[in-house]
Amino acid sequence: MLGILRDLLRYNAEFRIGTVLVGFVLLLSVLSGFSPYPPQDVYVVPPDVPPSPAYWFGTTSRGQDVFWQLTFAIRNTLLFGCTVALISRILALVIGLVSGYKGGWIDRVLMSINDTFIVIPLLPILVLFYFVMRDSMSWLMLALIMACLGWAYDARLIRSVAMSLKNREFTQSSVFSGMSTREILVQEHLPYVMPIVFSTTMNNMIWSIGLEVTLAVLGFTDINTPTIGGMIYWANQHTAMVAGVWWWIAFPTIAVVMTFIGLFLLAVSMNEYIDPRSRLSRMGRVTS
Amino acid sequence: MTAAAISVATLQPDSAGPMLSVGNLRAYFRTDHFGVHRTVRAVDGISFDVRRGEIYGLAGESSSGKTTLVKTIAGAIKPPLEVVGGTAEFTFLPGYDGLHRAPAAELARIRWRHLSYIMQGSMNVLNPVRRLRHSFVDFARPHMAGTETEFEQAVIDHLARVNLDASVLTAYPHELSGGMRQRVTIALATICRPDFIIADEPTTALDVIVQKDVLGMIRGIQREIGSSVLFVTHDMGVHAYLTDRLGIMYAGRLIEEATTAEIFRAPLHPYTRHLIASLPRIGDDAPRKGLEGAPPNLADPPPGCRFHPRCPLAMEVCSRSVPAMIETAPGRRVACFAVNGTKQP
Amino acid sequence: MSALLDVQHVCKTFTRGGVFPSRRIHAVNDVSFRIEAEKPEIFTIIGESGSGKTTLARMILNIEPPTSGALLFDGIDLATVQSSADRMAFMHKVQPIFQNPFEAFNPLKRLDRYLFITRRRFLAAGDDADIDIAVDDALRRVGLSLKEVRHRYPHELSGGQLQRVAIARALLSNPRLIVADEPVSMVDASLRMSIVNLFKTLRDDLGISIVYVTHDLATAYYISDRIIVMQKGNVVESGEARAVLNAPQHPYSRQLRAAVLLPEVAAAAAPATTSS
Repeated sequence: MLGILRDLLRYNAEFRIGTVLVGFVLLLSVLSGFSPYPPQDVYVVPPDVPPSPAYWFGTTSRGQDVFWQLTFAIRNTLLFGCTVALISRILALVIGLVSGYKGGWIDRVLMSINDTFIVIPLLPILVLFYFVMRDSMSWLMLALIMACLGWAYDARLIRSVAMSLKNREFTQSSVFSGMSTREILVQEHLPYVMPIVFSTTMNNMIWSIGLEVTLAVLGFTDINTPTIGGMIYWANQHTAMVAGVWWWIAFPTIAVVMTFIGLFLLAVSMNEYIDPRSRLSRMGRVTS
Repeated sequence: MTAAAISVATLQPDSAGPMLSVGNLRAYFRTDHFGVHRTVRAVDGISFDVRRGEIYGLAGESSSGKTTLVKTIAGAIKPPLEVVGGTAEFTFLPGYDGLHRAPAAELARIRWRHLSYIMQGSMNVLNPVRRLRHSFVDFARPHMAGTETEFEQAVIDHLARVNLDASVLTAYPHELSGGMRQRVTIALATICRPDFIIADEPTTALDVIVQKDVLGMIRGIQREIGSSVLFVTHDMGVHAYLTDRLGIMYAGRLIEEATTAEIFRAPLHPYTRHLIASLPRIGDDAPRKGLEGAPPNLADPPPGCRFHPRCPLAMEVCSRSVPAMIETAPGRRVACFAVNGTKQP
Repeated sequence: MSALLDVQHVCKTFTRGGVFPSRRIHAVNDVSFRIEAEKPEIFTIIGESGSGKTTLARMILNIEPPTSGALLFDGIDLATVQSSADRMAFMHKVQPIFQNPFEAFNPLKRLDRYLFITRRRFLAAGDDADIDIAVDDALRRVGLSLKEVRHRYPHELSGGQLQRVAIARALLSNPRLIVADEPVSMVDASLRMSIVNLFKTLRDDLGISIVYVTHDLATAYYISDRIIVMQKGNVVESGEARAVLNAPQHPYSRQLRAAVLLPEVAAAAAPATTSS
């Protein structure tokens, strides 16, 4: 594992830049543990102070230090994105692999469910959930709901890879070696499916964070837990852009853009590394 | 004069010289992934000539480098493949040391008119979404003068030579059988009466019965037009049936070259002898043995003669020096210390 | 005499065209033959592409079910082999060799893994040392050794060696029948005979019967005991191998025999007689 990381850092510029960006963002989130102010408190510092040596990123109209708010916001947003990505990957993998390998009526049933989930319009459903569950809509709840809505597209991708793998002769060799279906899927097929899982994970994180920011900006989430979207929501409530308090919006936006670009670069460079064809040519097989 | 001497005499190159002259050609694959450098010496110092009007067979098994050699001669060089040295020159395109160095305009001039290809998969050549007539128009029309009607008639006449009806022109490739498609490919490759045809495993994917037909057609057209053919296949039976002279490749080098009859009757190089002896024949119950060991990894080939780890006649010098291709008899070359003695030319 | 493999009037039809099938392809049409249990033999199925030989092989391996007819292995109808225990019992006795040695194993995984798993799943467990010995034995039978193969990836071996590893893997379950679908067509000519000779050894020394599916008449002549010739799903000729191949009766078999290219230059067709 370490060897892989070292190789990537040494030879791949995209990975280096991605690591720097994501590293910075992670550092910010870790710093949230050292914040002198509890995240929910307001009017703890003088409001509307521009970035200065005392307050690095300035302060908000609600009397909060933008820097320390940002550490909490980016931490919560990242956690949110990771949770959604993790749960939806597991769903997509299980459903995609089983459906592709088994075929027959299992495939048809699972894919019908899959297609239903693909056509569900996300934003109206999420808004509906918010209105129904208003008070109990914590970000964990939201993460679960989004995970259940976000697996369908990628399950189909994984299924098509699984179907092509089923027809390759080494699958039959594994069957005749006495391996069970679960073993074949996990040990033989998963390495081929991982590049897709990786790139869709980053995609999924970017999508879920983006959607969360959208909902928060519109006020449809728990706005007391600080998130990036939440910060922008409050900034809009206080008409920050018009009032000239640009730092309230700028820094959260920069942070989330850095996150997106960093994740994207990591995904692309890792993808190239673990792609079976590139692995094979590194192992020594000349692919024509 | 004996029969053997007569056949050698008719193969003397005429005054115009060989059609294709390959001189000490070296082409390597160089890959560099995440710090892992690999140089695969796929073609490592090959020299041979293809004369006018002859069918020259190139035999070799997997990792012999024959596919890379053909690609290099045809100019289809793309990284990670690089030509590291040597020449592969056709008489109709002199001065560039090989197609890979020639400018695009020159290549367009010679393609199909002087040099054409018969590939393994007919679907590599025929556009699956257009009727066959379009393939002829695309490939051959630019090189053939005359009106549309004259062209059409020439195509129909030519198709008759491969026993195909004019109706195939209005068909799509998938509507024909594999054998018929391959015959169309042959017709396409020969309609402009090229000087040189490169045939790369053209019958490997075909059924045995169709294969014999198609080979007969290739020979028939070749005799009529007088083209030179470089015929590449691993199937020794096909070489025996079709080719005039035969070059045997092993691990990126040419190790024996002679008339096909000579190679099958009395092979000299230990590899060739084992290969010919191991081929089973119907009606012959004698036990046969395969070769021991495996072909070498071209990224890390054995030093000296590349066959020496598997050779029953290996001597001490074989692991140190590379045997040169020496002409042991007129028209016969072998690269082996056991056959030629250890003197270098 | 009880039958090891009894193929009874087996047919396989593929339909193309969704709910209302427009085309029926009769891949296999009323094929029957028996391989006796007491007498191990090499039974060859000869055919060109489209003859149905691969479909027949897949049905014998229970990968595809027949449309009609029955296949009985050791008296058990393959249609009744459903549960995973039944299937394991079947695979214990019947193993495949596939055409493409480079695809027979996952290119991303090590080779020895398949050997160890096969041994563990089909035979009573033993400790690691026992399993190592058993795997080494199987590899030695095919002319390799555990030392050469341990920790290797498929691309590090030649086609001939890979096919031998595949045969070793098949041997590790102690099968009674091996179904080999074009096992040497993608192996170099110089390495082919060692594998073909290996099949003979398996029959003679281990008493394993082999169903050898191929289009190559020369290797078929060399090792087969009995032979059937298939054309477009039908058996056109069958009988003792040498007899059929030396003197075929059916027009199609005659055509096949005549089309075989001998590895020698016929004097009559001396090519270099026309001037260039």
